[in-house]
Amino acid sequence: MTARRIGVAAAAAGALLPLVLLAVFSFSRNWYWPHLLPGEWSSRAWQYLTSPASDIAPAIVTSLWIALVVTVVSLAVALPAARVLAWHQFPGKRAFFFLLMLPVLAPPLASTMGVHGLFLRFGLTETVPGVMLVHLIPAVPYTILMLTGSFTRFDPDWEAQARTLGAGTLAVWRYVTLPAIAPGLALAAVFAFLISWSQYLFTVLIGGGQVITLPLILVSFQRGSDEAITAALALVFLAPTVLAFALTAKYMRRHA
Amino acid sequence: MLMLAPASLVLMGLFAGGVALAVLQSTGFFAPASEHSFTLRHYTAMLMNREFQLSLILTIAVAAVSTILSAVAGVALALSLRSLAGRWPLVNALVQVPIAIPHLVMAVLLINVLSQSGLVARLGYAAGVVALPNEFPVLVNDPYAIGVITAYVLKETPFIAAVALAMLARTGDEYESLAATLGASPWQRLRHVTFPLLAPAVVSSSMIVFAFIFGAFEVPFLLGRPYPSMLGVVAQRRFTSIDLAERPDAIAVSVLMSLITAVLAWAYLKLMRNQIGERPTLF
Amino acid sequence: MHRFAILLVLAACASSCERAGRPSLTAAELRQTPWEKITQVARGTTVNLAMWAGDEERNRHFRSSVSQSLLREYGIVLHIVPLADTSDAINKLLNEKGAGKSRNGSIDVVWVNGENFRTAKQASLLWGPFADLLPNIRYYGEDSRTRDFGTSIDGYEAPWQKAQFVMAYDTSRVAEPPRSIDALGHWIRTHPGRFTYVAPPDFTGSAFLRQILLHFGGYSPGFQAGFDAKLYNEASDKAIQFLTEIKPYLWRRGDTYPSTLKELDRLFANNEVDFAMSYGPSFASTRIARGEFPATVRTFLFDKGTIGNFSYLAIPFNASNPEGALVTINHLISVEQALDLSGATESQFPITPDKLSANDRRKADALRRGPATLSNEELAAHFVNEPDAGYLTRLEQDWLEKVLRR
Repeated sequence: MTARRIGVAAAAAGALLPLVLLAVFSFSRNWYWPHLLPGEWSSRAWQYLTSPASDIAPAIVTSLWIALVVTVVSLAVALPAARVLAWHQFPGKRAFFFLLMLPVLAPPLASTMGVHGLFLRFGLTETVPGVMLVHLIPAVPYTILMLTGSFTRFDPDWEAQARTLGAGTLAVWRYVTLPAIAPGLALAAVFAFLISWSQYLFTVLIGGGQVITLPLILVSFQRGSDEAITAALALVFLAPTVLAFALTAKYMRRHA
Repeated sequence: MLMLAPASLVLMGLFAGGVALAVLQSTGFFAPASEHSFTLRHYTAMLMNREFQLSLILTIAVAAVSTILSAVAGVALALSLRSLAGRWPLVNALVQVPIAIPHLVMAVLLINVLSQSGLVARLGYAAGVVALPNEFPVLVNDPYAIGVITAYVLKETPFIAAVALAMLARTGDEYESLAATLGASPWQRLRHVTFPLLAPAVVSSSMIVFAFIFGAFEVPFLLGRPYPSMLGVVAQRRFTSIDLAERPDAIAVSVLMSLITAVLAWAYLKLMRNQIGERPTLF
Repeated sequence: MHRFAILLVLAACASSCERAGRPSLTAAELRQTPWEKITQVARGTTVNLAMWAGDEERNRHFRSSVSQSLLREYGIVLHIVPLADTSDAINKLLNEKGAGKSRNGSIDVVWVNGENFRTAKQASLLWGPFADLLPNIRYYGEDSRTRDFGTSIDGYEAPWQKAQFVMAYDTSRVAEPPRSIDALGHWIRTHPGRFTYVAPPDFTGSAFLRQILLHFGGYSPGFQAGFDAKLYNEASDKAIQFLTEIKPYLWRRGDTYPSTLKELDRLFANNEVDFAMSYGPSFASTRIARGEFPATVRTFLFDKGTIGNFSYLAIPFNASNPEGALVTINHLISVEQALDLSGATESQFPITPDKLSANDRRKADALRRGPATLSNEELAAHFVNEPDAGYLTRLEQDWLEKVLRR
């Protein structure tokens, strides 16, 4: 009982404290040592973000569009791979899996410059599809990892049984496979979305300043050291993912 | 095998091509610095460099400590919330929120909370314990990397907890109930049933966490010290140096980092495999 | 109606199709082409201007006033390519050069100076020379057109904005700030733990080191004329000795330094240290306006001067619209635009009075100035040119080895 209470308290503090702090920072002015509350309150940051000069709205639309496509494509690419990796034994499987994971193991600087060179040669830079493609590099390994976990807990015989009972491919998928892997699928989708949504370095290089996403604006203001606007932008940045977490949360429920 | 093709294409084609170019640029083929013949001098220079060696030790230590703390806390969090998460799905969302906070933002928040004039120090002032900022202990940019490790534990614990919760949600508690009816004590159930269930997910997610911290730049740059700094900072500093001739060095550092992470990750998986035994694992 | 039609055409055509068939203007052709022809070709095009976009006032100014005047006067649509760091753009160009992408680049104008200009010029990433052919270049003197951090400009960038190193103090804490390096050294020793500077290679921290180097080198004019090893060794020995001697009296005993300017600002605002510093003379006023510094903060200079520089506009080697870039740069460096920009962002006015008409001089004198910003005359009277970039690299290296790692 107490363990659960501590767990809930920790999770609530971990989730809510940063959000509350960011909200306070975004409205604060003249907040100096040793005061526990801001000296003044101001809506300057939010006024700027809601003005057209901030270019936030188009950046949100671009970011969302890219992240949604990346999520769908990542799942489409990762699902078949995860099934095979989870159910079939073949020589060199572990090494192959390890290779698939390398993009998330190697530090970003090692691959980004080279990847940019590659994209330039194929004329993929400065376009939205190019940015989507490059976001797949970090997104797909995570998705495969999450989904492989789901499939290992799922017995392939269940699908076979359903099929002998006369279920079509679609019905097997809808009533047998999908419910069994739903928690992992939901988590994988959220991660793919989140990875794309928060990419900075790849977007800067491949987008070449023509594809402007929210992290680009956030980092600009962080470097420009405008604390209130950075905090407000961070909240805007968090909104869709927090929403996505809440929406997918119900799929995480136990399917016993 | 055809099922693996799309994933292989995306990752091998895009990523491996990029890495190949990076290797070329660091072995004597970096045109902007007028290098046109094969050499390993950027690698030998870095390996002999005292700053690189110190940074490597620091980086491994910070990444290892942060990963272990996050894994332990993450599993504990998942176990304490598992029964609740089944009934009240929003608990999952609550756990996941910190995952969405960019590392950059987390670092900025921690400076404002933990620094000598930060919010915790101000609470100390209000309580009459601290009169001046420099009386408050040094928790960011400190010699023991407390600030850096705190940031990573706060960010990565929820990640590991979320993966573990998804794993627990899938399996339910039939195995544990079965073990209980067979007379297993709570500790025996945890040790012989629950941990083995969780192990594959925790091992692979902690490997990712380790690799991520090993290569990161933002958090050690903002919360660490200028010297010695973690390898990501060393690479970035050389990469943005005004002297173009330092760029191949920077790329060499990051290629070395990739190799070291790969070797460490491989060794870790091997070790864990022996620990857990040949279960239906994904690694 | 006219403007609307232009917008429609542009929307349909973006920036690529109207120039797909036509080869780009080369710098050699530029010399043979009358300026009227350039403006004529530029009409109806889009120009991509890459600049750091982390400042609210600047972003607002470019979105409204600058874009509108360009469209009204030249029929050019301005598109800002936001950068978090100019080096992002340089890295992109470097890779494009490596991949042989020599046309249809996505940046037409880039805001650049110092180290990034040096890198770009070293790697032939720039289009030009062009600057000396711009009509409005006549407002800028030799001081801004010859060398950028000692790197010879040769017409590859046009001067645009001016900046100068200043220090800030809080009048409620420090009655009279130290106005020389020696006085600062004395102040630091008598006030342990109350001073620090940003760790180089941060831009401002590095500028602070150069400030000290110039002082111990007697502000020799030799600093601007290429790298002189003898001058460097003499000056740097004393500078490093100075920095080593003050180290135990610094914030946290010099055991660590803030990594970013933001962090130094935060230490200063929260009364952990007594001085802040910046390469922007109006930085303290901006912070006061944002509520990040107390209203009692003021800036000061060293009596013997502080280093300053110009920042510039350049054209990448693979710009897809060089004509539009030229017209845009010429427009941005005009007196009216300089007045507008300084009025909107309180940045330092870059043109010296002797180049201005009586009317413009009055306007420049009447420019709005924040409470903590020093007057143009005072800044100009204490302006010392940046030393050659060769001093910068060596000084940073020596600082790393002899001060930081000790």
